[in-house]
Amino acid sequence: MIKEIFIVILLVAGCFFFLAGTLGLLRFPDLFSRLHALTNADNLGLGFIAAGIALYIASPWATVKIFFIWILTLLSSATSSYLIARFQREQEKSKNGKEE
Amino acid sequence: MDILIDSLLAILTIYLAFRCMLAPKLSKAVFVFFAFGLMLALAWIRLGAVDVAIAEAAIASGFIGVLMLDSLRDFSLIFSKNQERLEETASKIPVKKDSYHWTTGLALGLGLILFLLISIQAIWEVPQGGGLTAIAEANLPMSGVEHPVTAVLLNYRAYDTWLEIGVILMGLLAIFAAGGLKQYRKPGLAPAQDPLLRKTILIFTPVLFLFGAFLLYYGKMGPGGAFQAAVLWGAIGILLHLGGWPVFTFIPRRMRQILVTIGLGFFLILGFTQMATGGAFFEYPPAYAGFLILVVETLAAISIAAALTAIFAFLTK
Amino acid sequence: MVKNVFSMDAFFIIVIIFLLLNIGLGLIRLWRGPSIADRLLTTQLFGTAGMAILMVMAGYLNDLTLLNVVITFNVLSIILVICLVQVWKKKKGEAP
Repeated sequence: MIKEIFIVILLVAGCFFFLAGTLGLLRFPDLFSRLHALTNADNLGLGFIAAGIALYIASPWATVKIFFIWILTLLSSATSSYLIARFQREQEKSKNGKEE
Repeated sequence: MDILIDSLLAILTIYLAFRCMLAPKLSKAVFVFFAFGLMLALAWIRLGAVDVAIAEAAIASGFIGVLMLDSLRDFSLIFSKNQERLEETASKIPVKKDSYHWTTGLALGLGLILFLLISIQAIWEVPQGGGLTAIAEANLPMSGVEHPVTAVLLNYRAYDTWLEIGVILMGLLAIFAAGGLKQYRKPGLAPAQDPLLRKTILIFTPVLFLFGAFLLYYGKMGPGGAFQAAVLWGAIGILLHLGGWPVFTFIPRRMRQILVTIGLGFFLILGFTQMATGGAFFEYPPAYAGFLILVVETLAAISIAAALTAIFAFLTK
Repeated sequence: MVKNVFSMDAFFIIVIIFLLLNIGLGLIRLWRGPSIADRLLTTQLFGTAGMAILMVMAGYLNDLTLLNVVITFNVLSIILVICLVQVWKKKKGEAP
């Protein structure tokens, strides 16, 4: 019973952060702010959902695997956010250079 | 309650497919295609086919998405003069919106509705007997593996899998025939200077390798197998190539040829040796079946991974 | 009384539908995003939300092999990003 309450709380928190990330993606004015919103909020949401599911599937190996997935996700999303930001900077710089 | 997920997924998938085809800008279409691939992978999982889901997500969205991004770059380099000419040229690229008569649209629409009705009626009730599942699972102990999908792919219908490997090889040959081989000795990109990119590629390479090896071996007892492992290993080659270490083009040519053909060749030799010792074509002796399947899968995975890397390396500049 | 009414499976289904709706919302940005980096960003959303959906499905269908598919999704979103930023170097025009 307590475990189920925890799982529900964690999953709801995860969904909330996913919604926050998506709303940020839709409503923020600039690519960089959208990047910030999406990368942070989505990963946090995924972390919460991962924690909730790891709690639900009460197997230790599954928990280890889910933890590994979470670490890999952090690594790849940090890298991709940096790469996208740098890409956009270079695009804007080359566009400004072209206009001037 | 499952019907809610399934219907939402189905609507989303079909919507994405339509958007992908009708997108006026190619860059939209490429990314919508990627999303479509992911939704299709979810649909496969809802259908219970996890092996296909992994292969679909990795090959049909990942690999083809990467190839399409590269083609997109070539398109935009050609069309990068100014914006109006760009729009005008872009609107001429594949979808012609106005050149059909309305009767064509009506006929196509009616045909589509008819087709939908027939297919819905056909699949509304799943046959109760389960088809060949019972026979496939009954013979599982003799097939050498514990997962029915792998048994079907690598044992009962090994001939088909062998031909599929041949199809991938033929794709590679088609690229060579279309002039891809001219990229042969090009230096490609310089090694990535960005420390983050270097570190990421260098971290992902062993992770991908190990995970591919895991999927390869796990195919014995669960979803996995040669194709899934192969596309992950091919992803290593693609990542290294993108990072500026075009490893595949620097391997000696004979070695490349061996890598790409070893899966097909060994599979074929295996099939024939069974005939030599009295069995049918591709009939494995039950005692060694598990071991043979593992060896075949490993070599096939190596060869498909090499073919995928070659397709990418020789298509890009 | 709460235990009689509440079903974990139904809750999982609600979560999955919610995440699918998030993906649907993300399509708006995919369609409108003025630059190609916005579209790339949206595919990140699809990847992460897809991973979340798969994890919840792994709990719902009680099938631990779905976690392997999760790793695959992760890998492909990073490969798409690396591919785009590396092949699109120093291009002056706009995407067609």
